[in-house]
Amino acid sequence: MDAISTLELGKTYRSSLLRALPPSLDGLSLSVHENEVFGFLGRNGAGKTTTIKILCGLVRQTRGEAYVLGTSVRKRHARRHIGYLPENPYFYEYLTPRETLDFYGRLHGLGARERAVEWDKVSELLDLRDIASQRVREFSKGMRQRLGFAVALVGDPKVLILDEPMSGLDPLGRRSIRELILRMRDEKKTIFFSSHVLGDVEQICDRVGILVKGRLTSQGRIDELLGKQDNLVEVILTGLPAGVLSELEARALSARLSEAGHHLTFRDKQAANEAVRLALTQGGSLVEFTPLKESLEDHFVKAQEMIS
Amino acid sequence: MRILAVAQNTFREAVRDKVLYVLLFFAASTILGSKALGWISIGQDVKIVKDISLAAVSIFGVLIAIFVGTSLVYKEIDKRTIYTIICRPMARWEFIAGKYLGMALLLAIVTAVMTLVTTGYVLSLGGSVDATFFQAVLLIYWELLLITALAVLMSSVTSPILGALIVFSAFVVGHATTILIDLPDHFKGTWTEFVLTCVYYVIPNLSNFNIRAEAANGVAVAPAYVLWAMAYGSVYTIMLLVLASLAFEDKDV
Ligand SMILES: Nc1ncnc2c1ncn2[C@@H]1O[C@H](COP(=O)(O)OP(=O)(O)OP(=O)(O)O)[C@@H](O)[C@H]1O
Ligand SMILES: [Mg+2]
Repeated sequence: MDAISTLELGKTYRSSLLRALPPSLDGLSLSVHENEVFGFLGRNGAGKTTTIKILCGLVRQTRGEAYVLGTSVRKRHARRHIGYLPENPYFYEYLTPRETLDFYGRLHGLGARERAVEWDKVSELLDLRDIASQRVREFSKGMRQRLGFAVALVGDPKVLILDEPMSGLDPLGRRSIRELILRMRDEKKTIFFSSHVLGDVEQICDRVGILVKGRLTSQGRIDELLGKQDNLVEVILTGLPAGVLSELEARALSARLSEAGHHLTFRDKQAANEAVRLALTQGGSLVEFTPLKESLEDHFVKAQEMIS
Repeated sequence: MRILAVAQNTFREAVRDKVLYVLLFFAASTILGSKALGWISIGQDVKIVKDISLAAVSIFGVLIAIFVGTSLVYKEIDKRTIYTIICRPMARWEFIAGKYLGMALLLAIVTAVMTLVTTGYVLSLGGSVDATFFQAVLLIYWELLLITALAVLMSSVTSPILGALIVFSAFVVGHATTILIDLPDHFKGTWTEFVLTCVYYVIPNLSNFNIRAEAANGVAVAPAYVLWAMAYGSVYTIMLLVLASLAFEDKDV
């Protein structure tokens, strides 16, 4: 069973004027396996938040179906297993983190004893102890995000749905969120998070889905998505005699000169190897040998172009 | 449990609202200032104090119900605090019920405080309060419960300003329902008459909750009447809360 699956999911918001809006989500079908980290990518306005809100019961889809651990999101108990971190989470400003977590614990139906245990666990994990009695009103963005993550963990949900969990955080903050996500995966949870920061996604995701204008253009493991094309290899060589250089330039797909040396790109490893062998026997030396992979960014940009 | 958590928090938030204290201040001023009016009619001061004070309890209670009530749900959506609440395994109606209960608790305390001030004042003037006085307070509170239900409905479908206008109009018209059917002759047979007649039957007759004159004059009111008025109010209140839950059920937040 998939942790999350959607089938031809669509959403067209009602406008306040009687003007028809274009669909914000248009036939989205995706599946997130259990115990994986799934990165949900898309540009601003692609429909990431809309999808997440449907999964969490905040917004009703206008067509299709969505399931969390096999239960339709139209049913209220589908939400029992969801921990949700909204984009820029907002909490009651006059409560302290301790009171906030207590409130959500009660909403989750936890008794006083369980709530105390929950606080101990979650406050430790998110380092909330030293700000436990400060009002949320005085919180910085990073502190709010940490509290948001803590709230999402209340009730030990199996599926974490995080809407841009790293946006607006400094490098250390992003790193601690990344570590937390991986830690949650170790605890056998499923993590579905949206982002448009490709670096974060590339580092921690098992699989990704790319959303463009309300449609999913690709879905799969990052290495599969990127590895579908031939791998080019770039070599950097120095000390080449003129004749050898012109010979290699003729074989290479492209060539340029930098301070490091001559950069030559070959269509595959074998061609590159032969070139390096020739260069070495003729008195040249090898500075770098780099298989060129398409980056997730290249793939992302290509996905955008495919649609438009 | 979940409903109570929401209710408690609603209460906690409402008591932080400055509007509440401004209104309570004016209510207390009106109650304590009522003697000035009673003074004109010598020998009648206790009666006038009771009359004006009960009116103050009603009016200021309604103003609190309107100002706080019409923003209850709206504010949660506007400030996005609702996101992390609705995503729990909780039905939407439970959220509405919790918000309503918190407000009902707040109004119970506000009404009790105003009644206490009035009672103390009346006693200090050498007067006394009887059962009818407390029956009058009870019905005022029951009316506030109805008004709050309407305010909660409005807060889940429209903005606080529009909501407040509608609830206030309903309060005014509800206290003078007969003007809807006692029309001048040239309205007879027109659409206006038809619409107003419909409104007459839809809008609750709020003067059913008004036994303030009896309370001021010490005239006994049958407990059966009080019970009937409470049942009458409860029917409207429950209908309004059901409507609020239905309106909120499919709302995108
Ligand atoms: N409540 C709403 N009413 C009308 N249109 C909406 C509403 N919410 C979102 N939209 C529209 O739906 C589309 C998708 O928005 P959504 O917020 O899902 O994008 P997103 O991928 O989360 O973007 P971002 O990266 O900026 O957060 C946008 O065109 C947006 O204008
Ligand atoms: Mg978004």
